[in-house]
Amino acid sequence: MKNKVNSLGKFWNKPNHAAYLFMLPSILILLIFIVLPLVGTFALSFTDVNLFFTNTKFVGLENFLRFFQDERAINALINTLQFTLLETPAQIILGITTAFLLKRNTRFNRLTRSVYYMPVVISFTVAGIIWAMILDPNIGAVPYFLFKLGLPIPQFFRDPNMAMPLVAALTVWKNFGVSLTISLTAIQSIPDSLYEAAEIDGATKAQEFFHITIPQIIPTIGFLAITNLIGSMQVFDQIYITTSGGPQYATESAVMYIYSRGFSSPYELGYASALSAVLFVIIAIITTITTIITFRQEKKMS
Amino acid sequence: MNKDTLAIEKKKKNYKNNKFKFGRIIYYFFVVLLLFLILFPFVWLVISSFKFEKDIISWPPKLFAENYTLDNYIKVFNQIPMWSYIKNTVIFAGGVTIISVFLDSLAGYALSRMEFRGKNILYYGVLLTMMIPFQVYMIPLFLEISGMGLIDTYTGLILPRTTSAFGIFMMRSFFINLPKDLEEAARIDGLNEFQIFYKIMLPLIKPAMLSLGMFTLMNSWNDLLYPLMLTTTSDMRTLPAGLALFTGQHISFYGPVMAGAVVAMLPLLVLYVFLQKYFVQGTATAGLKG
Repeated sequence: MKNKVNSLGKFWNKPNHAAYLFMLPSILILLIFIVLPLVGTFALSFTDVNLFFTNTKFVGLENFLRFFQDERAINALINTLQFTLLETPAQIILGITTAFLLKRNTRFNRLTRSVYYMPVVISFTVAGIIWAMILDPNIGAVPYFLFKLGLPIPQFFRDPNMAMPLVAALTVWKNFGVSLTISLTAIQSIPDSLYEAAEIDGATKAQEFFHITIPQIIPTIGFLAITNLIGSMQVFDQIYITTSGGPQYATESAVMYIYSRGFSSPYELGYASALSAVLFVIIAIITTITTIITFRQEKKMS
Repeated sequence: MNKDTLAIEKKKKNYKNNKFKFGRIIYYFFVVLLLFLILFPFVWLVISSFKFEKDIISWPPKLFAENYTLDNYIKVFNQIPMWSYIKNTVIFAGGVTIISVFLDSLAGYALSRMEFRGKNILYYGVLLTMMIPFQVYMIPLFLEISGMGLIDTYTGLILPRTTSAFGIFMMRSFFINLPKDLEEAARIDGLNEFQIFYKIMLPLIKPAMLSLGMFTLMNSWNDLLYPLMLTTTSDMRTLPAGLALFTGQHISFYGPVMAGAVVAMLPLLVLYVFLQKYFVQGTATAGLKG
């Protein structure tokens, strides 16, 4: 018996066997809580399952056909795209610009960078509460500032035309520290000799930025674009807290709509899954296109 | 002629200096304006959370009031189960962080320093799961957790988050850079594979574990949709979820909502002040591929 235990121990103590034991917990969790549910999304999307399992019929493509007729779903997708097109470029541009301006490790720059990162550390719930108050048309600081300038006071989050751009601005405010941090690493690894050569030729800072910095960090910009696009397409928290999709569905995002379809009456999980599947396909397409563009740019630059 | 060139040189220098100064002014203006835009909302929130309701809703709005009070804090703790929210958030975010840093290290270690069959397949498999957004599979995940009877439990909240593809890759990239012959020496000393990992390797990558830890803690602490979906009773909510629901009902009473927001953000901000390097490093390594 002891021999058996010993030889078993020996078997698993070989690095090429022990590796499986080391990987096992993570692989199991990823399989059970990501891969399996993802398969589940596609499986459920062909059914009319609801939260209480009173319906469990296979309905074929019905959910997908319904999606094309569902104005609220199409509207949610358009809103999501609008948010993405506003938020992603703004966050990347602000992140790269601030990283370029603060790239030297002086004491002031370091302190500034850590302040810029502060909003990343708080939740969208808190960020949303702060900005809802500062932009409150009746008591907010920003409306008062506009009032002092003699400008009209808008309704901010309650104005259907302004709400989505504001949600995007709030997101940039909270998250550009991430883009700043990621592009800073890339910008700081550009050799000084490139800038020195440009300075001897009399290049301005702007020329340095566009002709040295940007081309050198194309892979990082690509990475930022992809992660930001994926993130933006899933926007939920900041909308839930500031407008909960209103006014008149003007800010309802795809994930918000999926959530309210699935988790509020009539709890149509099958249809919500079909919407999730559509969202997944759209995100996959956008990711692929962005990857290809980044790849081409990288080739062109090298 | 010599004089002329000198003059031209001087002119050039002057021109450059002027331009330089102009650039400096724009630089400082922009940087300081952004500093203000970041800091002002925080300052406004914290000061307002100590104001009486009448001062909060005064027009014109004022940053400072004549009197301050703890009323809002007392109210928010009385009106919603803040202590439960705090406890739940600490258990959820803390549990996820501790377990996932450990499991991610295990898997990252195997993927970086061990040779085994199927390694590449596992490597790319893990990489692929990183591309799948949570929102896309949240409904079946919810059904799974409720099928296991784990809705409104800590296990149900923590378990699905106890490993992350990102964490595995981050730990892998740190293990790969450790000196090559560490294991051999330890094996000769008679340590088994787990002891090598636990006693030799883990202590060497403590900074990386701390970075991943802060990154995971921050994401879990601030997460909204995930805990919102997996909890149904008020007593099981985390701070962001509980506050979000409270805000939905009471947005007209800013005082208690703001006090709640300060309580929710303070622990992480304090940690950030002391462990800033590790917070930022988690994000920075996210940008390094593979």
